[in-house]
Amino acid sequence: MLPVIVHFRVRKPGRRPFGFYFPILLVWIVLAALLVLLFPFLLLAAVLTWRRGPGRMLLVIYPLLAAVLWNMSGLHIEAGNAGNGVLIDFT
Amino acid sequence: MNEERRKILDMLAQGKITVDEAEKLLSAIGEPAPDAGNGAAAGPRSWKYLRVQVEPGPSSEKGDKVNIRVPFKLIRAGLKFAAFIPQNAQGQVREALKEKGLDVDLSKITPQDLEDLVSNLDDLTVDVDGRDKVRIFCE
Repeated sequence: MLPVIVHFRVRKPGRRPFGFYFPILLVWIVLAALLVLLFPFLLLAAVLTWRRGPGRMLLVIYPLLAAVLWNMSGLHIEAGNAGNGVLIDFT
Repeated sequence: MNEERRKILDMLAQGKITVDEAEKLLSAIGEPAPDAGNGAAAGPRSWKYLRVQVEPGPSSEKGDKVNIRVPFKLIRAGLKFAAFIPQNAQGQVREALKEKGLDVDLSKITPQDLEDLVSNLDDLTVDVDGRDKVRIFCE
């Protein structure tokens, strides 16, 4: 499932922990619009490089990118020590 | 995992028995051998995430702590991007891996190999106790 919210949290020594929930769905909307705009150029690049090899690979970029983004939900990265810390959680 | 199997694997981890002995013991108690064909998605134990946890041990100086949870579906999708690594970069990666003692040719890894690799990660459990305690497992 496509993640819609990402939770960021940063902790630094001597400061209050800072965290917020970001609606990453907005990023996906902008990214989708950008990908639609770039699609004709990608098709052109694929046709031009078809014989040399990369052309076919270019055509699968969008499905692969969609697969990665679609499965990011549940990704949780947390690292830190006694003083510093960072958390990124896609939900 | 039943108690007998756990004991055998514990003895193997502690170095009390060899891999061959562990295999014999496991077959003696009737544990089925791991089958490469039973992937994470196909088997009854359908794990969703690969977890990596690092916790500071008693002798740890900095107290570093890491907790990473990666969805298996994301790993599968991400591995397919390996096909986009240019040929000349693959050579450099191979050289770098060889220097580290890993003789792996990325160009010979097929999508099926990657699928088998991820499918069999569900049996992976690694516990390392040193300065920090490292756990890699599936959930």
